[in-house]
Amino acid sequence: MDETVIGFVGLLRRNGVRVSIAESMDTFHALDLVGLGTRAAVKDTLRATLVKRGADLPAYDRLFDLYFSGIGEIVKDAESRSRAALDLDPAEYQELIEALARFLEEQGIELSELARALLRQDSARLERLLRDAAKQAGVQRIERPFQEGQFAQGMQEALGVGGAARELQLIGDALGAGDPDPRRQRLSRFVERRLQELQEMIRRLIRGELEQRDLGQRDAARVQQLAEKSFYYLSEDEIRRMKEAVAKLAQRLKNVLAVKRRSARRGKFDVKDTLRKNLQYGGVPFKIRFDRRKRVKPQIVVLCDVSDSVRNVSRFMLQLVYSLQDLYSKVRSFIFVSDIGEITKLFEEHEIHQAIDQAIRGNVINVYAHSDFGRAFRTFHREHLAAITRHTTVIVLGDARNNYNLPHEWALREIKQRAKQLIWLNPESRMTWGFGDSEMDRYQPYCDVVEECRNLNQLYRVVDRIVVG
Amino acid sequence: MFSSIPDVIERFARRHYICNRNIATVVYLASRLQKPILVEGPAGVGKTELAKVLAGALDRELIRLQCYEGLDESKALYEWEYAKQLLYTQILKDKIGEVIAGAPSLKEAVERVAAQDDVFFSERFIVPRPLLRAITAPAPVVLLIDEIDKADTEFEAFLLEVLSDFQVSVPELGTIKAKHVPLVVLTSNNAREMSDALKRRCLHLYIDFPDPEQERAIILLKVPGVAERLAREVAEVVQAIRKLDLKKAPSISETLDWTRALTLLNLDTLDAGLVDDTFSAILKYEGDIRKAQAEIKEHVAKARAAALAAPAGAPDANVRH
Repeated sequence: MDETVIGFVGLLRRNGVRVSIAESMDTFHALDLVGLGTRAAVKDTLRATLVKRGADLPAYDRLFDLYFSGIGEIVKDAESRSRAALDLDPAEYQELIEALARFLEEQGIELSELARALLRQDSARLERLLRDAAKQAGVQRIERPFQEGQFAQGMQEALGVGGAARELQLIGDALGAGDPDPRRQRLSRFVERRLQELQEMIRRLIRGELEQRDLGQRDAARVQQLAEKSFYYLSEDEIRRMKEAVAKLAQRLKNVLAVKRRSARRGKFDVKDTLRKNLQYGGVPFKIRFDRRKRVKPQIVVLCDVSDSVRNVSRFMLQLVYSLQDLYSKVRSFIFVSDIGEITKLFEEHEIHQAIDQAIRGNVINVYAHSDFGRAFRTFHREHLAAITRHTTVIVLGDARNNYNLPHEWALREIKQRAKQLIWLNPESRMTWGFGDSEMDRYQPYCDVVEECRNLNQLYRVVDRIVVG
Repeated sequence: MFSSIPDVIERFARRHYICNRNIATVVYLASRLQKPILVEGPAGVGKTELAKVLAGALDRELIRLQCYEGLDESKALYEWEYAKQLLYTQILKDKIGEVIAGAPSLKEAVERVAAQDDVFFSERFIVPRPLLRAITAPAPVVLLIDEIDKADTEFEAFLLEVLSDFQVSVPELGTIKAKHVPLVVLTSNNAREMSDALKRRCLHLYIDFPDPEQERAIILLKVPGVAERLAREVAEVVQAIRKLDLKKAPSISETLDWTRALTLLNLDTLDAGLVDDTFSAILKYEGDIRKAQAEIKEHVAKARAAALAAPAGAPDANVRH
């Protein structure tokens, strides 16, 4: 059993479930206590000691079933299939097996271990034979589907399927293939069927092994953390999960800040000041002093590029900013492609995801135009410059791919001069800035901070800095 | 101490807590291996309740530490009572005067005071917080660390020492070792992922929403006087509602509230009209309620059709003869 559990731990690790040595030791202590009585108890015990993340539970369940029931299940399935093929109920089936055993005895036919296990329906022995053969043929080394045939061959050799097939053939002959007696007919059909099932069992065993391997690779790919995944490559499903993740991050950020603000408002207990102030009462602490400092909530103006290339990032940025609204004294959001439009009102009137959908689907501005940062900045400068005061943090989100239009960096410069700070978030990798139609190099001098913002972790870090700093 | 897994199930059942084998196994292992349990799962499935029942079943005191952002050692472990210390210094001024009376030099006076300073840093001036109380308790206790995911990561790191060795160090007093190892239950709503180091030291238990059968059993157990049929219907509807894409899925406690409300209104079956009015007991957002309404109407219609199709069924309790 020890070896089996260790093997299972290895399988879990290959599938991205982190299991430490301390944990596998716990497992053995726990198994000592619970015992190996029932399958369910063992499953619960291993789950409690080995799997510590809710997200790993589905993988664990599948792997446990694959690993611990594999061969037993296969053998049992084969039996019920043979029975179904002959259209018999369990009692009749048992009778048939006994009739065959009697016949073999009468005829004085000696069988190999494999053939006997097959015909007697000796599940335990069959299981052991299959397991040994699988080990001998090295089935656990299988990696690709096309190797199935090769390993099946190996297992057949290890089991001695050829010999068993010949024996069964002989029995079939002895039963007389052409005999009209229906009972004889049935016996020979049974013998034939069992041989087919043997092949099927081997195939299923190998496929099960392959599946364990396969599962490993699939899950390993998924383990690549959502938070580290570039916004460009998100699937539908991931976008949905990402929305939840953003909401959680926002909540956390909010809580952390709320605590900071609370303690800043009330202040920490100030020992020095308390002692000094209470000297006038003869050092008796009548008045407790706290350390207080004042903080101003930042104002925010967000300019989001919503052209096709950066739409996902814009979506999460807007979501995050709006989830954090009460941390700022004022938030105004604009979206642009080539025109620029304000969406602050839209957000006030609609539920957040609905509002974002409307905004980036083109209800506010034409989103199918070619990006023109220069024009957008110029328009903003002309119409909305009053939105910016010396308490304002301006966040621009875009890839600065300007389709070779005029960049009009002077507009950005003047925006910056009025604002407290200007932050540019670029969802493209830093390496590609300034190449092709990217105007990042021209805009960069007028920004206080320029950050790459390609995944959730980066987005979080940036927002954290804006709010805290 | 529990003697076996069925023993856990039975003792919990006596305290009106229905637990499946999985929960019982983890509880049994935790009590035997003296390891903390980390309970995760959606809000309102009875994570906190588990600790309370556990304390009751083992006849131990329950000490609870509620976590929140900014929770620190002084709130969780112990705190010096500065004000009390200052007051004592004031009151004992004369005594201190006596101690230093006749000291030939300032240095000597300081030495004499220093010789006495452990008076002021003794257990008398310590306010024990939940962790210290759990460790120094004269009898074994159950320690519930609730919503650990809300605490900061620094606090989590600090907790490691307590959880692995069951000892804490107070610089002025030295290391305090637990007289009895407390049985620790940590709950988490998964607002963030716990560190691997913490998880490694715990047994993990994931409690999900119960299946319909279990939920029905819980309703029957917890709501006295509920009609068998109503319990079944409520369980079915709630299960269906949980499958919808909602802002907040109804928890078990909300299911119970709802059933209580319906029972108070003397209902034996879900009647579409009153269901709408009592919906606020299980769903807390306007959007969610709207979404679920369609679902529940359909269910009520289906249930009614089923009742009509079974002519030999029990007489309809709603019809008064």
